[in-house]
Amino acid sequence: MKLEEIRRKTDKIDRELLVLLQERMGLALRLKKFNLTVTDPEPQEDLVARAEHLNLDLIERSFTRQLLNTIIEESKRLQEEDRQLVAFQGEHGAYGEVAARRLIPAGAYIPCLEFVDVFRGVEDGHFDLGVVPVENSLEGAVTQVNDLLTTMNLQVIGEVKVAVNHCLLATEMTDYREIRLAYSHPQALAQCREFLSRNKLEPRPYYDTAGAAKMLARENPKAAAAIASALCAELYNLEIIKEGIEDGPSNSTRFLLLSRKPYAGDGDKTSIIFAVSHQAGSLFGVLKLFAEANINLTRIASMPLRTDPGNYSFFLDFEGSEKSEKITRVLEHVEAQTISMKYIGSYPADSTTA
Amino acid sequence: MKNLKLASGKKEDRTIVKVSNAEIGRGFVVIAGPCSVENERQVLETAHAVKDAGADMLRGGAFKPRTSPYAFQGLGLRGLKILEKARQETGLPIVSEVVDPRDVSWVAEFADVLQIGARNMQNFSLLKEVGRAGRPVLLKRGMHSTLEEWLNCAEYVLSEGNPDVILCERGIRTFEKYTRNTLDLSAVPAIKELTHLPIIIDPTHSTGRISLIGPMSLASVAAGSDGLIIEVHHKPEEALCDAEQALTPDMFIDIIGRLKALKSFLDNQAS
Repeated sequence: MKLEEIRRKTDKIDRELLVLLQERMGLALRLKKFNLTVTDPEPQEDLVARAEHLNLDLIERSFTRQLLNTIIEESKRLQEEDRQLVAFQGEHGAYGEVAARRLIPAGAYIPCLEFVDVFRGVEDGHFDLGVVPVENSLEGAVTQVNDLLTTMNLQVIGEVKVAVNHCLLATEMTDYREIRLAYSHPQALAQCREFLSRNKLEPRPYYDTAGAAKMLARENPKAAAAIASALCAELYNLEIIKEGIEDGPSNSTRFLLLSRKPYAGDGDKTSIIFAVSHQAGSLFGVLKLFAEANINLTRIASMPLRTDPGNYSFFLDFEGSEKSEKITRVLEHVEAQTISMKYIGSYPADSTTA
Repeated sequence: MKNLKLASGKKEDRTIVKVSNAEIGRGFVVIAGPCSVENERQVLETAHAVKDAGADMLRGGAFKPRTSPYAFQGLGLRGLKILEKARQETGLPIVSEVVDPRDVSWVAEFADVLQIGARNMQNFSLLKEVGRAGRPVLLKRGMHSTLEEWLNCAEYVLSEGNPDVILCERGIRTFEKYTRNTLDLSAVPAIKELTHLPIIIDPTHSTGRISLIGPMSLASVAAGSDGLIIEVHHKPEEALCDAEQALTPDMFIDIIGRLKALKSFLDNQAS
């Protein structure tokens, strides 16, 4: 092994240690939601003693003890800070985390495998808040999330539009001229098709954009790059070869912030979901109520009802707060004219044009 | 001249190369900027200065073909990112040199015009690659090349399906040592007789002397050149390359003023 290579490997291991510690701290914070501290039910001493018995010839027992105690003390300190646990779907660096950081700047961001894990986790009180994508300006509604919004009992307390800014990322050791493969989520690959073909890069589908970046950093496969957010470059120590490589006009994804409790303030945007009977003019009747009250609609989407094929539920976002008298009155009428109506929240609108 | 199927063509049907708002082949286009990209501050300051002075495009090398292998070789990809930032800030399109066929598609991601330097004029694999890159090409004349050899190189790019070739006269090597090269101004009207392609002048590398840049710039207008590519550095004394021939922004403002006056005088005479 050359000197430079040894240095590079040490550097890589140090980073991996820190990433693992970050994961451990996240778990410690989650433990708090079970009203436990890190060392319950096992006393700190037992935990340290058990680790000491690992037979590692280069790691002295005293060092193990010192290291673990330091880590445990730090997790206790973190538990005492009042950080909100914000869940998102995907690996660290996913666009969901970009949205979460924008909505809650000093949170603890917890990755979840599936959207349903975000919803359930918030509902069960394992997380304080959840962040989920509801629609993309090019691809339309995220059906899984819309479905969960109908079935689960969570309140929308905020929204943010995140511009999709795909970056071509590679490890520092990779010469950009030798890149032949690009790993990413199929949707991201599709959005960068022209860029890939111009530069003769072969698209390789991966389960997640941030997952591809993480894999790249860990395994450093030959001649490979990943397409993911700029945040991934920071988190996984990757170099941004080129920013903004998507073909089309910039597209953005709208994320919702979910909570068990409704938004405390007034909010200026409201979301509802409703279903109407199979009769001529029933949907029109509902929309007419908003038109007559001069309420501006910002989104209308329809989705087939899973429980009742052939029927649809409608998603309606409009300007104004549920606490205003005008809107309360309209919502009373809506309730009377529909089979079901679910109010999912009034919250501050994201007015940026991203 | 034989085999110039595309480069000679119909001379009256002159090629106009459009790069954002600039049209090379119509009016007079000024491309200015540092020899090489050294750091962000240098490029951004120079870019704003030349933009304010009235330049149409920004030049700057991220890859430098240097006479000595030990001389500064350029910042590479990092340099391209700095140029991209300069374009975002000033709106000036970017002209940047490419020296390696493997870099062509990447330079094309960042630059609006790909420059082929004098030393690479007859690098045929590089010419074919830029012919396929979908970006206009600024083709400098090799320092020992005849017009026919030069136009054959343009033909390489054109034959790959890229119609946007801008020729650039940057001086040829003669026995004269006072100037760095000898600016062949007669190439301008000669090229207009031989092809429909636009031609611009590089008064910096052809003379290598600051005092000669202004007069030669004016002469190129009179000769019918479609534009200029000229080196400007916000602090020439700190430049990592070609420090002795880069103009300060003030000198550039002075030259561009006289240039525009002469151009409008000639245009008025013609009409």
